[in-house]
Amino acid sequence: MPSVCFYFEVHQPYRLKPYGALQVGRDHDYFDDKLNAEVLRKVADKCYLPANESMLRLIERTDGRFRISYAVTGVAIEQMKKYAPEVLDSFIRLAKSGAVEFVAETYYHSLAALYDKAEYKEQIDMELDLIKREFGQTPRVFRNTELIYNDEIGQFIADLGFDAMICEGADDILDWRSPNFVYHVAGREMRLLAKNYKLSDDIAFRFSNRGWAEYPLTADKFAGWVHGHSGAGDVINLFMDYETFGEHQWRETGIFEFLEHLPELLFNHPDWDILTPSQAIDRYPALGELPFHRTVSWADEARDISAWRGNAMQQRALAEIYSLGPAIRRRNNSNLLALWRRLQTSDHFYYMATKSASDAEVHDYFSPYEGPYDAFIHYMNVMKDLNLSVFAPAEKRAGL
Amino acid sequence: MRILMLGWEYPPHISGGLGTACEGLTIALARRGVEIDFLVPKLYGEEDAPHMHLLGAASAAPSQVEPVQHVQSELPLVEAIAEPVSSEPTFATDPVPTSEVAAAGQREEADVPAEIRMVHVPAMLKPYLDRATYQELIRGGSLPRAEYERRVATQAVPAIPVPPSAITRLEHAHVPGDDAVFAEEAQAFEGAGHYGDDLFAEVARYAVAAARRVAGKKYDLVHAHDWMTFPAGIEIAQRAGAPLVVHVHSLEYDRAGQGADRDIVAIERQGLEYATRVVAVSYYTRSLINRVHSTSLDKISVVHNGVYAHETVEAYSEQRSSTGPVVLFLGRVTFQKGPEYFVQAAARVLEHVPDAVFIMAGSGDMLPRMEALVEELGITESFRFPGWLRGAEIERAFSTASVYVMPSVSEPFGIAPLEAMSHDRPVIVSKQSGVSEILRNALKVDFWDVDKMASQIVALLELPELRHTIVERAREEIRHIHWDAAAEKLVPVYESIIQA
Repeated sequence: MPSVCFYFEVHQPYRLKPYGALQVGRDHDYFDDKLNAEVLRKVADKCYLPANESMLRLIERTDGRFRISYAVTGVAIEQMKKYAPEVLDSFIRLAKSGAVEFVAETYYHSLAALYDKAEYKEQIDMELDLIKREFGQTPRVFRNTELIYNDEIGQFIADLGFDAMICEGADDILDWRSPNFVYHVAGREMRLLAKNYKLSDDIAFRFSNRGWAEYPLTADKFAGWVHGHSGAGDVINLFMDYETFGEHQWRETGIFEFLEHLPELLFNHPDWDILTPSQAIDRYPALGELPFHRTVSWADEARDISAWRGNAMQQRALAEIYSLGPAIRRRNNSNLLALWRRLQTSDHFYYMATKSASDAEVHDYFSPYEGPYDAFIHYMNVMKDLNLSVFAPAEKRAGL
Repeated sequence: MRILMLGWEYPPHISGGLGTACEGLTIALARRGVEIDFLVPKLYGEEDAPHMHLLGAASAAPSQVEPVQHVQSELPLVEAIAEPVSSEPTFATDPVPTSEVAAAGQREEADVPAEIRMVHVPAMLKPYLDRATYQELIRGGSLPRAEYERRVATQAVPAIPVPPSAITRLEHAHVPGDDAVFAEEAQAFEGAGHYGDDLFAEVARYAVAAARRVAGKKYDLVHAHDWMTFPAGIEIAQRAGAPLVVHVHSLEYDRAGQGADRDIVAIERQGLEYATRVVAVSYYTRSLINRVHSTSLDKISVVHNGVYAHETVEAYSEQRSSTGPVVLFLGRVTFQKGPEYFVQAAARVLEHVPDAVFIMAGSGDMLPRMEALVEELGITESFRFPGWLRGAEIERAFSTASVYVMPSVSEPFGIAPLEAMSHDRPVIVSKQSGVSEILRNALKVDFWDVDKMASQIVALLELPELRHTIVERAREEIRHIHWDAAAEKLVPVYESIIQA
């Protein structure tokens, strides 16, 4: 009996305000509270609230046979509490439905996995505590920031005791394999669920694209494609940004109607059901090892990490923030630690990407700035102020 | 498709960007099979345009107007004259050296198409030379002293003693049907001696001459570049029953702001109203045309300028002299170019990068004020005012600068940032410029936002990763800003007009 597995990313960064060189040494408020509040409220109205409502209705209507999973980042939850607490309430209602699984990730949606493993573990632990506290669940499944994955990361997560991890089903990694089976990490028992990027992106990216041969995509057509895999797979992993519903694909595109009808149409085929990631790994055996010969993510055409560290500016900014780690930790100052961690959120580096063509459009769409250069300038000015205001006085005090 | 283009100058005898733009555009159009007759007031014989027919307007007016000698300037110009440093720009009325005329004559016989006739029409007006800038050039020392004296007497006098009303002016500019009558008028008009060499008279004279020169020829459309050629364009289009395209490279408003010459504005408007289609060099200019002249946006197509695809100049290594990093302003020091915002930003930058050096290269009516402002702000030590740069000096300025800034208050397009980019320099351009619309790999700022401008300068000086990323990507980017792209947009505009 094959299954469909839904996973949605819910994340909001703390965006920096335009921070010019002249502010360095004078202004120690780095974040654009007004913009962050606006974005969160806008996304709440367009996506979180209506989508959660739809999900809850579908779960009730199908007696819990419609199941979904989320990773909600710590920084998103913090901002929900501040700017739109009703959103968090509706996620809590979903958690109580019994048909929703919360997947772990890093609290700060950071790139710590690539730079600082001790820090990485702390951010994972923070997120686990948060999910326990807010949703009453202890995640068994982990997803790394933007599905960034390589064997080393997989082994590290396996050693933390997770049962499964979510990853991108990139062609060159899967090679002859199908994404529609469960695999395990190279050298570990921990399971891997690989995103079926074709079917996922049909919804997430192509749904409203009038230039697409399959436009318009109806729930009926999509269910037909899924059913076409009968006998050729165990689990079809549909992983996407939650903002697909109502934000990237506006309500006017018919995305909510699509969502409304999809579960029933999937259930029309008696063999098919819908599972959460934990249920999927419990039911289906791992077909074999899935080794990764490179670091993969779900971003951009390249499906690698060039979205965050593809140019010299990004590399400099990342080197800068992670080099502060030891000094920051020595301080043992929780406010400073939180500030440093908010500055690690991957979005800051994503805005600095200098990609061309379709990738650039996506980066521009998300960026609150006028372009990658401004993003880098603001970030580096903040770094300078952080260095000056935090470290210089202390060193003076210490007589250095 | 056979078109008539009306221009005011053509390389190598150019004073501004218009001639260069016309050359680039016509080459690319010709490559797309457009047959072009290109008419300028005067040909020197050195022009090289195998891609089209280059025509000089025949004169409808007396061939040479004697300089008026009796008026002596009331302006204290003499003190302001620097040592004459160059005879550039060459003015059309400069006496052409005999040897040059002879050489040109030979060339004409040798390999210039029969259409090209050497006709010497006094045409002093240069594309971006309104009365004010003309005086600036003189004061800036760009004219040889002898030429300067002559010119002060004839043209740099405080404009026109008794300016005729715009209406009268335009009646002259807008050549009536009967040539003979007009020729008389034109002569009377010049004979009066009040403004015999006035730029409006030149515009009118060009209109008459141009109309005569192409009388009887058939064109699918007439394309006129900037206001000086609009009256000629209207006249010819009317006579030939062909549609008129007017191309706006610059508005009087760009050059003079609120001090715009109302007569020039009136001629611009007449051209814009008469034209079937208006072409603007940027969206910025398109919206300015709409605001200043109420021309409907639907009537205005945007065709961005290109640049010649030339290899990027081998940049001097980033070695700097004993001084600190150099921040460059290069252009006329006039209101339009925003020099004071550059100075204000410099003062802020120096608080963060004390060894930075700021070069304001160029001259203009605001130069004394800028020098005073620099002194007032106490940053004289960090400023250089080298005056007008030419040729190799410009190359050198670009090559030794760490950052090029174009803080223009109003810039229809702005080619200089592209030159800086071709020298591998990172650039900051004001958002009030046409070129900012097409550049991705430049930093952009509102001209008035001196804090942000300063922040961008500091960042470029302090962050090598920023500089390198911008320069590397800009190098690739400017390869795509070429005239073929402009022609590709223009040809369909032509087609739609001809079909309509």
